[in-house]
Amino acid sequence: MRITLAVTITAILLLAAVPIWAHHAFSAEFDVNKPLTLKGTLSKWEMINPHSWFHIDVKSPDGSVTEWMVEGGSPNTLIRLGVTKNTVKVGTELTIEGYQAKEGTNKAVGRNFILADGTRLFLSLGGSVPGTPGAAPEKAPEKK
Amino acid sequence: MRTRFISSMIVAAGLVLTVTTAMAQAPGYRAPRTKDGKPNLAGVWQAVNEANWDIEAHSAAPGPFYQLGAAFSVAPGLGIVEGGPIPYKPEALQKKKQNFTNRMTLDPEPKCYLPGVPRAMYMPYPFQIVQSTKQIMMVFEFAGALRTVYMADQTEAPADSWMGWSNGRWEGETLVIDTTGFNDLSWFDRAGNYHSDALHVVERITAIDADHLNYEATIEDPNVFTRTWKISFPLYRRIEKNAQILEYKCVEFSEDLIYGHLRKVPLK
Amino acid sequence: MNDRVLMPVGAIALAILVAIVLVAPTSAAAQAQKAAAATATKAAAPAKPWTAPRTPDGQPDLQGYWTNNSYTPLERPKDVTKEFYTLEELREAEKKAAEREEEQTVPGTTADVHYDFTQFGLDRSQTRLTENRRTSVIVDPPDGKLPPVTSEGQKRAADRAAERRKQGAQYDQVQNIPIGSRCVYQNAGPPMLPPGYNPAYEILQSKDTVTILIEMLHEVRVIPLDGRPHAPQGYRSWLGDSRGHWEGDTLVVETTNFNDKSAFRGASENMKVTERFTRISDDAIRYEFTVNDPSTWEIPWKGEMPFLKINGPVFEHACHEGNYGVANTLKAVRLEEKKAAEEAAQKGTK
Repeated sequence: MRITLAVTITAILLLAAVPIWAHHAFSAEFDVNKPLTLKGTLSKWEMINPHSWFHIDVKSPDGSVTEWMVEGGSPNTLIRLGVTKNTVKVGTELTIEGYQAKEGTNKAVGRNFILADGTRLFLSLGGSVPGTPGAAPEKAPEKK
Repeated sequence: MRTRFISSMIVAAGLVLTVTTAMAQAPGYRAPRTKDGKPNLAGVWQAVNEANWDIEAHSAAPGPFYQLGAAFSVAPGLGIVEGGPIPYKPEALQKKKQNFTNRMTLDPEPKCYLPGVPRAMYMPYPFQIVQSTKQIMMVFEFAGALRTVYMADQTEAPADSWMGWSNGRWEGETLVIDTTGFNDLSWFDRAGNYHSDALHVVERITAIDADHLNYEATIEDPNVFTRTWKISFPLYRRIEKNAQILEYKCVEFSEDLIYGHLRKVPLK
Repeated sequence: MNDRVLMPVGAIALAILVAIVLVAPTSAAAQAQKAAAATATKAAAPAKPWTAPRTPDGQPDLQGYWTNNSYTPLERPKDVTKEFYTLEELREAEKKAAEREEEQTVPGTTADVHYDFTQFGLDRSQTRLTENRRTSVIVDPPDGKLPPVTSEGQKRAADRAAERRKQGAQYDQVQNIPIGSRCVYQNAGPPMLPPGYNPAYEILQSKDTVTILIEMLHEVRVIPLDGRPHAPQGYRSWLGDSRGHWEGDTLVVETTNFNDKSAFRGASENMKVTERFTRISDDAIRYEFTVNDPSTWEIPWKGEMPFLKINGPVFEHACHEGNYGVANTLKAVRLEEKKAAEEAAQKGTK
């Protein structure tokens, strides 16, 4: 039984949530050697597929504003949770930890999207455990 | 003699009445009903006009590539816009003209992008109306585009999309569809007629006999037009036996157009 | 040891019923676990007869939003011989898989260069799981594995691989990038296997058609029920050409006319897929499929999985239209090549 369970877990883990090709494609698009943290305000959330894009205005110390475009996930599951284009308002403060795009412009992929109160997306958008109405929200996984 | 005269006057009056009401949604043809009592608009339909080239009246014209000669030239059309030219704001008309000049790079159609509404309704390919109680779907052959019309459980658009968010209701024989939630990326035709994300389309679809629908749409977009305006045209049933929507996935056909300049070895 | 030989069909049906009963959406997780434990220890009780509600046209009603979201692999894992996990084994495995999915990646590694799925609800554990106790989707052959591939199938696979190699490196041209990344085709099937994320489907019915909307890439299957023949052989497509009919309360859909590009698990364009949809409760559809392609597999093979109810909508998946990623990636690779060429040229002139 034990052996079966261990093997089962391994087998199940082979079904990565993200197909292997997706990680490979992302590391060709974004630079693992160029991590960054962007702090800015949302000017637009393009709720599109296959990935959504957050347009952020990042203010420099000298007061100038740079526009960044940051890749996030498909909005389709969030929409089933009731998230709309009005949920994350224009002007919302966001801290985004991610990696810069390799193609040379102000684009990045966001690993973590953190709101002013420290919560990350999904939970802050009313996310909860799988599709079961009224289920209690999960705790955010601890950052290691 | 008098009886015959009166009879023929009655017939003539009847004909006049029929002609004037043929394209309106007033009492006329009564479509067969679905089991839940609604007019049955199900089937494979197609517009037969030149609106996809240009929804306004236009002459025949050369196509953009001489290599395709007459085969890809612009067919003439009387247009589907009612009552005069599209009422653009002056600056918007300038943008339309720029769109026209640059149409081969700006038109979403060659890129196999979704056609939007109302353009999907008059592209020269069939679409299928699938009708259930709570939803009506329109499945388009081109690019596998889809419209979902919510007849119940209606909400606002959660986010912008190419095909918009449609809420529908029945008014007698007429299906009335109210669509908002558009992005600003689709065009009305190949001639550069365009809209903003404030586009609001109200369509009225009515069966006028067993094989024809009357289609009308009012277009509203305060960012682009000075007033609402209207298009109308018939939709024809594809009556051949076993008519069906076929798979017309065109992404692969558009990739060299979109990404060709990013090849390692440029295309000749 | 060899449980599968001892498992009669009736027990299998009961096991499915038990599994489905246990995913009742109104139970909180803890209560469901208690109920599961209790039910698992009960002796086999006769199932209460249930009939599907009817559409206005009198057909069994399959309409609504559904998901086939699951961790169940297509083929039975190595060293697993039984056909069903116990409920405890399944819950433990799913819990561990969910924890692993949620695990934070190590900054500075390739795996970290991606948005964290959990922030968008895209981890498998964040959509309703169908909690399928089967150890594989494949139910026939009984070992839960794909049948042997014919020599013709093996040659075809080798030929296809050789063709791909001829095309050059992955980012030399867009056509070398996987078709899913290009938004051309993403395993829509049939058969309709779980896509990993956005595992949502919608079914709409009318008198003459059943329409299935698949969320990934927004694929729409309009299936005629009027007994018409398949399209002529000259017309081929990625999703094939489907024809449906009712056998009792089961919708049977037969699909042929595949092109040679969808190539499901190495299949040829002669593949024929037969699907069976049966509404078995308010909350569930049993989905069964048979894959028939003698030029690829020596024998037909069958799979089965549940679809469970979820809420909608299925928002427009306009993948190609929003595909900034392909352009970004190709630009990046060309830029790197240009830099490398410039560096090499500079070295050359020194």
